[in-house]
Amino acid sequence: MTISSPRRTTARIAAGVASVAALGMLASCSVANSESAGGGSSSDDTLRVVLQQEPPTLEACDANLTSTGVVDRSTITEPLIERNPTSGELEPLLSTEWEQTGDTEWTFTMREGVTFQDGTPFDAEAAAHSIDRAVNGDLGCDVEGYIFGETDLGVEAVDATTLVVTTPEPDPILPLKLSFIEIVSPETSADEMVREPIGTGPYAIDEWQAGTSITLARNDDYWGDAPAFANVEYQWRSEGSVRAAMVTSGEADIALGLSPEDGIGDLGVSYPNNETIALRFSGQTAPLDDIRVRQAINYAIDREGIVSSLYPDGDVVAAQLVPEGIVGHNPDLEPWPYEPDEATALIEEAKADGVPVDTKIIMPVRTAQFPKVSELGEVLREQLSQVGLDVELRMVDTTQHLQYQTAPFVTDEGPIAMLIQHGNQAGDAQFSVEQYMLTGAAQAEFGDPELDALIEEAAKTTGDERQAAYEEVFAFERENVVALAPIAHQTAMLGLSDRVSYEPNSSTGDELRIKEVSPAE
Amino acid sequence: MWTYLRKRILQSALPLVAVVLGVFVLARLTGDPSKLYLPLNATEQMRADFAERNGLDRPIWEQMGDYFLGVLRLDFGESLRTGENAASMVLRAFPATLQLAGVTMLLAIVIAVVIGSWAALKPNGIADRIVSFFSMVAAAVPDFWFAILGIWIFAITLGWLPTSGVDGGAAVWVLPIATLMLRPVGVLAQIVRGSMVTVMGQPYVKVARSRGAGELRVVTHHALRNAAAPALTVAGDLTVSMVNGAVIVETIFGWPGIGKLMIDSILQRDFAVLQAAVLITALAIFALNIIIDLGYALLDPRVRPASGSRRSSRPGAHAEAGTGAERRNENGTEKKAAAHV
Amino acid sequence: MSENVTPTVTVLTRKARQGSDRPSLFRLLLRDRVAAVAAAILCLVVLAAIFGPILLGDLAQRQDLATRNLPPLSFAHGWEYVLGSDSLGRSLFARIVAATGTTLGVAVSAVVVSALVGSIWGMWAGFHRGWRETVSMRIADVIMSFPSLLLAVVILYVFNPSAANIVLVLAITRIPIYLRTARADAAELRSRMFVDAARNFGTKQGTIVFRHIVPNVLPTLVTLATLELCYVMLAESSLSFLGIGIQPPDVSWGLMVAQGRQYLADAWWQSVLPGVAIVVTTVSANVLAAWLRLATDPGQRWRLQQKKRRRRLIATAGARG
Repeated sequence: MTISSPRRTTARIAAGVASVAALGMLASCSVANSESAGGGSSSDDTLRVVLQQEPPTLEACDANLTSTGVVDRSTITEPLIERNPTSGELEPLLSTEWEQTGDTEWTFTMREGVTFQDGTPFDAEAAAHSIDRAVNGDLGCDVEGYIFGETDLGVEAVDATTLVVTTPEPDPILPLKLSFIEIVSPETSADEMVREPIGTGPYAIDEWQAGTSITLARNDDYWGDAPAFANVEYQWRSEGSVRAAMVTSGEADIALGLSPEDGIGDLGVSYPNNETIALRFSGQTAPLDDIRVRQAINYAIDREGIVSSLYPDGDVVAAQLVPEGIVGHNPDLEPWPYEPDEATALIEEAKADGVPVDTKIIMPVRTAQFPKVSELGEVLREQLSQVGLDVELRMVDTTQHLQYQTAPFVTDEGPIAMLIQHGNQAGDAQFSVEQYMLTGAAQAEFGDPELDALIEEAAKTTGDERQAAYEEVFAFERENVVALAPIAHQTAMLGLSDRVSYEPNSSTGDELRIKEVSPAE
Repeated sequence: MWTYLRKRILQSALPLVAVVLGVFVLARLTGDPSKLYLPLNATEQMRADFAERNGLDRPIWEQMGDYFLGVLRLDFGESLRTGENAASMVLRAFPATLQLAGVTMLLAIVIAVVIGSWAALKPNGIADRIVSFFSMVAAAVPDFWFAILGIWIFAITLGWLPTSGVDGGAAVWVLPIATLMLRPVGVLAQIVRGSMVTVMGQPYVKVARSRGAGELRVVTHHALRNAAAPALTVAGDLTVSMVNGAVIVETIFGWPGIGKLMIDSILQRDFAVLQAAVLITALAIFALNIIIDLGYALLDPRVRPASGSRRSSRPGAHAEAGTGAERRNENGTEKKAAAHV
Repeated sequence: MSENVTPTVTVLTRKARQGSDRPSLFRLLLRDRVAAVAAAILCLVVLAAIFGPILLGDLAQRQDLATRNLPPLSFAHGWEYVLGSDSLGRSLFARIVAATGTTLGVAVSAVVVSALVGSIWGMWAGFHRGWRETVSMRIADVIMSFPSLLLAVVILYVFNPSAANIVLVLAITRIPIYLRTARADAAELRSRMFVDAARNFGTKQGTIVFRHIVPNVLPTLVTLATLELCYVMLAESSLSFLGIGIQPPDVSWGLMVAQGRQYLADAWWQSVLPGVAIVVTTVSANVLAAWLRLATDPGQRWRLQQKKRRRRLIATAGARG
């Protein structure tokens, strides 16, 4: 019957369309099954690392950003001076020695026999170029904002191995600050940011498959000890349990940013990172403008309970904003005790004086900032409401959180007690204190003129005097200002496969130094 | 057919513009991205510079105008986050999602047709009850939960499959596709079963059987063809929503697709990339809808746009109200989303 | 000829309704055991939604860091830990029950809002045809291609995050489904014989819509809505997974599943049990909806009215010719 022919045609057309579509899709399979056929899991000589997110860029002058620095610092690029995270000492890297040769002048001696990964020789001129580019230029480098603010540095290459750096004001910790500037090839453009830098480090960028992986290859002309692995491959997964799974199943050797619940088991290694969590108060808005209320909040938090139940793997109750090991940490400062009755009494007292203690206090907490952050938020809210305060927990994303965190602050939502996480990467309290406690600083919502004076004085000191000066700053803040409610010094967790051996330290999260990773015995 | 095609393409132009405009405005409502991209203690001056560099300080009309002029020149702007060309980022990510969605839907359709037909052979029989139950459960399970369980069971405990990623041959496709396929299989199996039950009770099927046609031929040649249309409609809708939303699977398995790119650019206020991603996704969706409508017409001659004749008003033809047989209107192939979308 | 001649089909149905061998809806339900179980489960869920927060609300909020992560049946710590406890020591049973209200509230509201808006709009567009229909379809296209994630983020950050706003987002993104279905059905029905007949007799447009179009479109829309309930509940949990859904201290099943996923290795019950609640509720709703569709469609009802054995015989007979 003639009915079947149009149907057969229809069927043929449909089959044709379907097969073309299928072929097309299989042909474009090149996206998923990438060209690096031997890539990753097979080679014994490749170190495989899994991060939490893809680095937005590897631009060296943004290397103080954790997600960039973890790949760049001391692996692809190197600074003049490197801080030893365990001892706190500054160690020579691209600069072999340095001294302060004037009030505002420092002289650095360059290491000889070093070449960049593109073959250009390293000398004082190259160092000057990098510093100038990062600090004085218009690129808007993150390291500029974070470390140097508005100050510019004077750099002069006196000869091939001598570099003189001048500062506008006397700066006793200039070498520490310079440890944040990664030195890049002088061929690097000073007018625009460069996604894949060329440095002097033990590994050079081999390939960046955007969205999938970054591969580094050993730099055979490296001036130092030859690194153990021929290649390094970075991947990223946003789920902690997936990162842990990659290590336990042998797909990765190192996984960052884990927590015990991710199922890493024995392959997990805890280590104190530099992070401290605290509540920061908007001290210009009632009722948080009354010091009694701020003290009450401090008394209301059961820090021991929180640490032992939520973070038993090594977190330490905090009494101040910087942990042990940072210059200026005050070991004599006791954490606020858990005394809810005292807290209630203080609040009653304030209330009797007319302070509006019933005003709703907003507590912004950043989603997924660290493990169990939302649980922590709920616990804090509960503990504060037990002493009579009305607290609203608000989980917000990073951008929202930053609106509350940095100047200009949010002023139209009433009193704010926000959860912050502060990491002191530099090892010196000046960075923390001048961010969070100095009146007018980017992350200080209010201040105290006496405290300001102490801070400014401390910045000029060195050595033991410096340590004592900053200890006094913290003690004074605790007694008289109470701008913060410190909660805990945190630990982080790494996943390490049996194939490798590595000792994590407080700066591992910020810079994973591959040269310190070696194959297991 | 070509007039229809032209008409649909023209009709889709305005909605496309509306989508991009909508995203443009909404994205900027989410607040100022400068704090995310500048150092924490950036000064007012640095913020002003940033805003100026990225054109964010100008009134929104100007920004919109500039953007559209750029689009006409095929310049979609640059990522605030990485500095790369927004269009190349999007074009790199899109094929990954298309492949995932395409393979998943093909498999889902095949599986759903097979088990749905099998269940329909004996309505309310054991096979039917099992299939119905499992397909309902499959459609109700949260996907990220299934994904993480799958990784836990198959990758960690049993070690049969890789945990995630795109390197590793065919094995990396298994878990993502299984996760993505759950709901489509569940939904489609129910629909196929429903229409097959109806169609198998039709007179012409009885006639075919009485003429001695084997069971397989009855099922495939006679029944499936007529039951296919509503399934196709729903499959089309599911594919569309998959293109837009394989976010969760991509996030968990580290699949570098457009869903992940979109959520990242939303959370990081990366306007240019977001706009480009939405534009290309919307384009794909519109194209997909047109293709589905055309395919629909190919399958069922009654529904072709060229043939404007009304369907006969046989009572039998109207009785299938319940299970979602296709509808047609004078306008052509505006398809109806079947009963079980 | 009288003004209001009721069309033939309606007359026949009415006659059938008056038959004494026609059992009530409730009786029909009891006959089908599976559907009866589903209905019972749903009743339980609704009761939990209404009374749960009142009875167990405080228990659901009570933290106790000492009783964290207890497995189910930890009666040593109290009856309320029958399903274990979560990461802050709160009774999981109480939280699941208390979350029923939020979850169901959000899901049902979103479905009702989108169903009402979409259906009415669709029926209007389908009935009138012409430019109204084209414009409505294109608007539906726009909504469908719009990234719902962006909408969710914007609405949650520009306005305050709240259950109401989540309902808004979910409702808006699902409107096109009802819109397209209702429009197609209405357009098709409009051209059918009995509607033509009614028009010829001068019946007002409104009456036509209500008397003839709505009842015929309704079964499909109801089925659609029940399936959508499932989708909306899952969408809500996906939003929570991405961090932009219901926010603590509010609680919903989706949020519990999302938060609990971090503990799958050690405390699987925190994520699995709320997930089971989602699955059980949606499957019950689907079963009941499928049954309802048969029961309320005059043309299909006979399938349910037969005794079970005869039903199977008829079904088999139908399939075999």
